Amino acid sequence: MKSSLISALCVAGVSAALTTAAAGPGNAQQADREIVLGAIVPSSGPFAEWGRANTVTLQMLEKQINGTGGVNGAKLRITILDDATKPAQATNNLRKLAGDDKALAVAGPLTSSAAEVTFPVANEMKTVATSQASSKPGVAKLNRPWAFRNTIDEGVLGRTTVPYYKKSFNIKSVAIIFDAKDATAATVGSKIMPALMKENEIEVLNANDPLSFSTGDLDVSAQVTKMKALNPDGVVVSADYSQAVTVIREMKRQGMIKPVVGSTQLISSAILKAAPEIPIVAPATFYASMKGEKPEKFVDELQPLLRKTSGLPPEIEPSMYDANIYEIVSIYIDAIKSTGVTGKPEDIEADRAKIRDHMAKLVGFPGLGGPIGFNDDGDAIKAFYILQGENGAWQSKVRGCSTAPGHPGC
Amino acid sequence: MLLQQLVNGLTLGAVYTLIALSFSLVMGILGVLNLAIAELFMLGGYFGFAAILAKLPLPVALLAGMAGAALVAAVIEKIGYQPFRDAPVVTPMLSTLGFSIILQNVATNLWGSDPLQLPDEVLAARFTFGPVSVSAMQLVVLGATVILVALLAFVVQRTSMGRALRAIAENRDVARLLGVSAGPLTLVAFTLSGALAGAAGVLVGLHYAAITPYVGVEIGLKAIAVMVVGGTKRIWGALIAGPLIGVAEVMTTAYGGSQIRDFVVYGLMITILLLRPQGLLGGARTEQGPRV
Amino acid sequence: MMSTYYAGLLADVGILLLGALSVYIILATGQLSLGNAGFMGIGAYLTSYLTVTTGIPLTLALVIAAAASGATGVVVGFPALRLKGIYLAMATLGFGEMVRSFFLNFDAMGGAGGFHGMRHVSVAYIWTWAAAILLLVALLERSQVWLEMRAVRDDETAAGLVGLNTTTIKVGSFGFAAAVAAIAGGLFAHHHVYIEPGNFSFERSIDFVLAVILGGSTVGAGALVGALLLVMLPEYLRFLAEWRFAIFGALLIAMLLVRRQGILDRSLFGVFRFRRSA
Repeated sequence: MKSSLISALCVAGVSAALTTAAAGPGNAQQADREIVLGAIVPSSGPFAEWGRANTVTLQMLEKQINGTGGVNGAKLRITILDDATKPAQATNNLRKLAGDDKALAVAGPLTSSAAEVTFPVANEMKTVATSQASSKPGVAKLNRPWAFRNTIDEGVLGRTTVPYYKKSFNIKSVAIIFDAKDATAATVGSKIMPALMKENEIEVLNANDPLSFSTGDLDVSAQVTKMKALNPDGVVVSADYSQAVTVIREMKRQGMIKPVVGSTQLISSAILKAAPEIPIVAPATFYASMKGEKPEKFVDELQPLLRKTSGLPPEIEPSMYDANIYEIVSIYIDAIKSTGVTGKPEDIEADRAKIRDHMAKLVGFPGLGGPIGFNDDGDAIKAFYILQGENGAWQSKVRGCSTAPGHPGC
Repeated sequence: MLLQQLVNGLTLGAVYTLIALSFSLVMGILGVLNLAIAELFMLGGYFGFAAILAKLPLPVALLAGMAGAALVAAVIEKIGYQPFRDAPVVTPMLSTLGFSIILQNVATNLWGSDPLQLPDEVLAARFTFGPVSVSAMQLVVLGATVILVALLAFVVQRTSMGRALRAIAENRDVARLLGVSAGPLTLVAFTLSGALAGAAGVLVGLHYAAITPYVGVEIGLKAIAVMVVGGTKRIWGALIAGPLIGVAEVMTTAYGGSQIRDFVVYGLMITILLLRPQGLLGGARTEQGPRV
Repeated sequence: MMSTYYAGLLADVGILLLGALSVYIILATGQLSLGNAGFMGIGAYLTSYLTVTTGIPLTLALVIAAAASGATGVVVGFPALRLKGIYLAMATLGFGEMVRSFFLNFDAMGGAGGFHGMRHVSVAYIWTWAAAILLLVALLERSQVWLEMRAVRDDETAAGLVGLNTTTIKVGSFGFAAAVAAIAGGLFAHHHVYIEPGNFSFERSIDFVLAVILGGSTVGAGALVGALLLVMLPEYLRFLAEWRFAIFGALLIAMLLVRRQGILDRSLFGVFRFRRSA
């Protein structure tokens, strides 16, 4: 009796000790003023690499800003929280950042699943949240005015990608395969791509028989065998690149060397290693070998830091999501500087509203790939590039712009 | 195309057989669902990759994967099963869940969450028999599975250790009365199970040439279905159920549509559980699992 | 005025508590269910459909969804009678996966794209339900029915011989548990205001089981302790950065090793209540 009471108390006591030991840093602003921004990234789970790379990127930015005098004379502090790729944790992270840490604005979350549940919280807490990677159509649109995304709707991107693909490889017919378990991939694969193919007079050979697989599947031999039998000119692979690797390798294995087209989810260095002889066409807003003073400087500064970080692969390059989150926080800082944000606790609601309004009206902010603005849906108006990956490298082929009617272009 | 799909299904089935056997070694003998087997499979894959990337030959890679996974399995047995052998089976099951969480995190930190890929396919040579195209690696997967299953069957049926395992599976208390002590033998069961899962990991990893720390999750669940369909206590059951489910999956995808695939596989599992809980090749209908 | 961060966490605890209770109720009859996320999913989608598409108020929608899910639970409970132990657990696992697969293909409510439109509810509302059902379970634990359930768990044959209707008890427990899980689902849907099939996976079912086993599998209040632990512990472990989950897994194993019946058990409860229980 007594021993069970003791052991129960011990367990409870350990938990309590952990609580107090791990209680976060004090929420009050320091005596010398601080500008606090927040970030939500997936540092554990299946996208851990993106989260960790994002963390290095933001730490670099924080250091750069503080090294040149901070923001409006105050020190910049970026509090980064891990959402473990679990949407529920992302919502609690935003509550913590906005409520307890008094962040003026938050970058993140990364995935569309997390954004879907976190953006409503952004509206509840009246704090701007901007996703660095969510591209599932309509996510920010449903959550105005406090939700933004520094990404472009896949439908808009596809309108430039598909015509290039058609012309480049003389495509008259395709087969479409998508990841049915991933919301973005499924929407692109079952709605957006078929519509785009129709617009461009490309026949979808498996229109009546959708081919799909689930996230985590290792074996797609059945689907690829079916595709091969249809003998299309090209293949649409709508999936996150980790899954797309599985499909492309199986295509190579079965001798199906056809050009592949997809969404931004394909952009990565991993996919270039899957089957170098299969050309891959996908849109991106940034890629590591981009030419130009700003992107080259960004890569030169970030790449060594990434490669030095334990837990990241030694050949890692800055990714589109690193560029996006860098831009997001830079935009916040720009908003703070130009709208007279004070950073004082009593002004916090006004400050947040100023940031929101600045972003809603943003036009021509110098991003890494070109000028950035936001449209009425909360998605970015920025330049994008149609990349073709072949023999281990991405090459930019076409430059496009995601202008919306009524907004100035890029 | 039908024949090609059959070959696809058999390859997938071979993988399922190995992992199902891994589950059933522990499940059949100890009644415990070892949720960490998916991660043993994943670790085997990573160890095999490491060996191949270090230019070691394929058999060495296979042994490396098996040995590494077996070692980790032994650790799990000592910490995650031994202390709980008298507890209701849900407790060691959850403790193996704890291990699976740890192993996934460790793998992510060691190797990253992006897929680790082999630069060149191992044994990529393809052979064409009429309308069917098979790669050399695929043949190795099929062949290795048959050999490993045969070895396991030999151990279980013909060696004294195997006899002891079967005795414990029948009735642990009586076995103990008859002088068969459970302790070291459960270690053997776990280690063998780990070795099988590791072998599956190496073979699968090399065949698909890309792995992530989460590669075991889906496959683990399917392998449980295979184990159930084949009969949790029968080795030969897994050998039949593996290809059966593999082919069923592939055929459903090929002719029914990929969307309903999971439905079919789990539906099959539930149907078998309801109609014939001892599995296709199970013996008498006494499969009342230990108290939960 | 509670910080909204803690309010959010508390909402998660309330929802997990209900899910854990659904496992606890079934476990009390000696059955292990690894598929309660399926019932949660049914509750979530049905409640959301009712409030968003037909405009029924949330409380009524929850009751309807609970009833529908309870009926499903009863339907599942009957074939479950033929299975025992780990075989039943695996069948429920299969059931849970089939439900998830169903919603993945159910384009009428979004499929993989998920479902929107729900109205956000407060933490207080969630906890009203959670506390009410916890109270209900506590009352049930003091009733004759509970003794019958424990009898079935301890020795089903004997219970049958003594004249207990084991069928009603076992199937009824599935039905009741399914209803509770459905309420968890409906509240989840209206707390996060967006649901997708991936929310109701095997991982969720296992979380329920984990909460019960860690918190104490012999008393209903154990589910509360377990839910608190599972939601709060990963938050407190944030300082461990990239080893957060490995340490969480290790703590899990450690907790099971130290106290395998869970943190709360009958004797502990007895101490707190200043009397020994049987």
